[in-house]
Amino acid sequence: MGNQRGIKYGIGILVIIVFTYVLSNYHVALNFILRRWDITVESIFNSDRAFLFIVLLTVIMVLLNEIRNARKDSDSIFLRTIPGLKAVEEAVGRSTEMGRPILYVPGIMDMNEVETVAGVIILGHVAQMTAQYETGLDVPVARSIVMQAARESCKEAYLSQGRPEMFNEDMVHYITDDQFAYAAGVNGIMQRDKPAACMYMGKFYAESLLFAETGNGIGAIQIAGTASQAQIPFFVTACDYTLMGEEYFAASAYLSRKPELIGGVTTQDTVKLMLIGLIIVGLVMRALFDLDIVSFNLLDIIG
Amino acid sequence: MIWKRYIPIAIVGFFGSLTLFGWFIESEGIKAFIDDDATQWYDIIASFAIFLGALNLLKLQFLKVLKQQSGWQYSVVAIVSFFAVFVIGFFMRGAFVVDIPNADVQSTYFTQGAAEEAVNQLKDSGVTASITPAQWGAHIQTEGGLFKWMFDNIFTPLSATMFALLAFYVASASYRAFRARNFEATLLLLAGIIIMIGRVPLGSLIPSWIIMYLLVLVLGIVVNTYFKSRELVFIVVALGLLGVTALFLYLDSTTVVDIFNAFITGGVISGFEVLGSWFTGWPINQPSIFYLPALQEWIYTVPNLAGARAIMIGIGLGIIVTSLRYIFGLEKSYIGDQ
Amino acid sequence: MRFLENIIVKFGSVDRRVIFVLIGLAVLVPLLSPVDLAIRPTPSSQKVYDAVDSIPDNSNVLISFDYGPSTRPEIHPMTLGIMRHILSQDRGHKIYITCLWPDGLYMAKDALKTINEEYDLVEHEDYVLLGFRPGNEAIVKGLASDLRKVFTVDAAQNPISEIPMMEGINNLNDFQFMFTGSAGYPGTFEWVQYGADPTGVPLSSGTTSIQVNEVMPYVQSGQLKGILAGMPGAAEYEKLIETPGIAIQGMAAQSYGHLVIVLFIILGNLAYFITERRERKY
Repeated sequence: MGNQRGIKYGIGILVIIVFTYVLSNYHVALNFILRRWDITVESIFNSDRAFLFIVLLTVIMVLLNEIRNARKDSDSIFLRTIPGLKAVEEAVGRSTEMGRPILYVPGIMDMNEVETVAGVIILGHVAQMTAQYETGLDVPVARSIVMQAARESCKEAYLSQGRPEMFNEDMVHYITDDQFAYAAGVNGIMQRDKPAACMYMGKFYAESLLFAETGNGIGAIQIAGTASQAQIPFFVTACDYTLMGEEYFAASAYLSRKPELIGGVTTQDTVKLMLIGLIIVGLVMRALFDLDIVSFNLLDIIG
Repeated sequence: MIWKRYIPIAIVGFFGSLTLFGWFIESEGIKAFIDDDATQWYDIIASFAIFLGALNLLKLQFLKVLKQQSGWQYSVVAIVSFFAVFVIGFFMRGAFVVDIPNADVQSTYFTQGAAEEAVNQLKDSGVTASITPAQWGAHIQTEGGLFKWMFDNIFTPLSATMFALLAFYVASASYRAFRARNFEATLLLLAGIIIMIGRVPLGSLIPSWIIMYLLVLVLGIVVNTYFKSRELVFIVVALGLLGVTALFLYLDSTTVVDIFNAFITGGVISGFEVLGSWFTGWPINQPSIFYLPALQEWIYTVPNLAGARAIMIGIGLGIIVTSLRYIFGLEKSYIGDQ
Repeated sequence: MRFLENIIVKFGSVDRRVIFVLIGLAVLVPLLSPVDLAIRPTPSSQKVYDAVDSIPDNSNVLISFDYGPSTRPEIHPMTLGIMRHILSQDRGHKIYITCLWPDGLYMAKDALKTINEEYDLVEHEDYVLLGFRPGNEAIVKGLASDLRKVFTVDAAQNPISEIPMMEGINNLNDFQFMFTGSAGYPGTFEWVQYGADPTGVPLSSGTTSIQVNEVMPYVQSGQLKGILAGMPGAAEYEKLIETPGIAIQGMAAQSYGHLVIVLFIILGNLAYFITERRERKY
């Protein structure tokens, strides 16, 4: 099946390359036809970016195909265990037993960041669990639009669990836009309310360690997830579980097991394999070019 | 249902596709939309959305004060601060410049009354001065003005204090978490120590020969752990120490013969002086692989960067795939559709 | 030996407030009683220095203040160092200042106040403070295409058209060098992606230590002409321009702070090993 898929993708990439070529040069054929009427047209396709266009269409092709495969049979697709995500349900259970709320921080950036949107999606899953277990949920946010989106997500989660009466709009509340004022506000909530579990899922900057250390100080179980590369070490050091980079984006697939989302995870892996292949080929071609064995430089095409 | 579900998905799909594929299209209109308009539309929406957040904040703080919940006093501070800064920024200039033209001297006062009083005092002393209120917009950053005073004396110290907490938290987090529980943790620990010491001037004072001697001792510990043989440990450590010494004998220009001659011809004191200068004359940064700043630079620019690039590629792929899921309407949780 | 082991084991479970106090002292004492430590410039700081040195005479230099009071101790010395370097060359350079952060405007004003005490600059002849505009990367994109659309007035509300040194400045292509002191978003990445790459204008940056990891690939690829990495980078630059400032003063504090952290880590690990050995024994 792996070979079949590889051949399918290979053919797909060839088709994409031909399509891109046509797109880059259609104006030549058109001008040839229209020259009789003295009409010339310019190409609206930026052919300097042709390689990136091919990559984009390849990723789209792989994504749609993987989702189709996942819809046919998602159970056979293996997703390795991510300890941080398994721990989410444990954390909710722990909070319920202790009678203390869960603190969820969806990052400090706005909804234009993919990480924040991913954080709001994971919040939906956590809210479903808190609705199920009847645990308190506190979501302080740093942006007004995030507040609205997070409220919608929580409301739908509580509705889907048949617990609309448990939802309160003020469980998602705005503190401030300023980075350290927000950190001070969240730390104050931690010190006063002493949540049993703290989850940090989103885009963070320097305040990440402030959250994590304060959470550690109150004895809460801490689960973090971020694609902010500089903050991953702080979360790894201070939190019990950390979802790093891609694991964070795979979280929604892992929690929901929806075929569309599982397809996204397998797409990432497939594209990564393709990239590794491209890096190796590029390395070899460049070496051959530098040794004067071949006369063309692959990197000139890639750009 | 249509308004709540399909229209938001259509909006996301349309604008997402336009922004994504528009990058490949040579069209001034589309370029202008992607480069300028799209981000500005977002900023305008976010700016108006601040009202929602501010109202929510005020509502919760007021409720806390009214119900006298725990910590309600801080809520009073929050409410008072909010309105104070709002009023000062939007309704009070807070910056009235008193100008003495002949002396090229300027003073800024918070209120018009204070500025007028100053002018009157100067008039009584025979000095002519004029009042120029700062322009709206420029009033928040006028030197000596009320808003700038608040920024310099309240906001700046508070921000700096919160950031400074990180120094303490880094120390306690490192102390708690950096334990050599296994091979990877040990590697992390060693890399962390090398970077921390190598990055600061103190690291450049530590000669490479100290590091080499330390490594020999560590090797002795490792040999003892695995082989539990005192003789073997003694041989390894002795050979190691002799080897490092021989290496630096080779690198240093002073020879053992010079030291010997110093003792014979110059006496004990002279001999020890030459011995000391031989010892301290060992090159501080050779071999460079054991010199902390050089080692730190290598760790930073080679293995660290390689790992960072790999993580960045993974994150980039995650962002692309997640964004495509939103654009194609495959992921709808952000509008609450589970 | 047992006594020593017991002391070390005690260090393994010390209250974190003790660590806080010792870190506080390690940082405070060198600040109150300065210690001279030798500063060695690194290649990345040297690249910034060389980039500024190689700016042609009578150039227009854009400096962007993209940081706030929290990161001021790290980045402010960098921007001061760059401005001092440019002005000390006395080669007719003009400085244009923008801010992508609202707090950056105050940082810029403070920097200009400090520099004015040393160089006696004339506003609108030697420098112009364009100020802050909201919009994050849209501002950088706007500057790259049409600066006059983004800035119609400067920070003091003077129309751009009436400022002599704004003549001929229409977009980023009219600058010969750019520097950004950046503490996060928006900052270095946005300037590289939307400012330097499309226009080809040389760009250098100073960032907080934690960001250097993310920015280093741009330095290695040549998209950034060097980087000043945190306070050590600022101190190195002060050393290169031979003008000691607050960064060099702060390096002793940082050095001793790091030393205390490392000592605690080593003691903590020793305690861990001793405890493990005792548990295995019994």
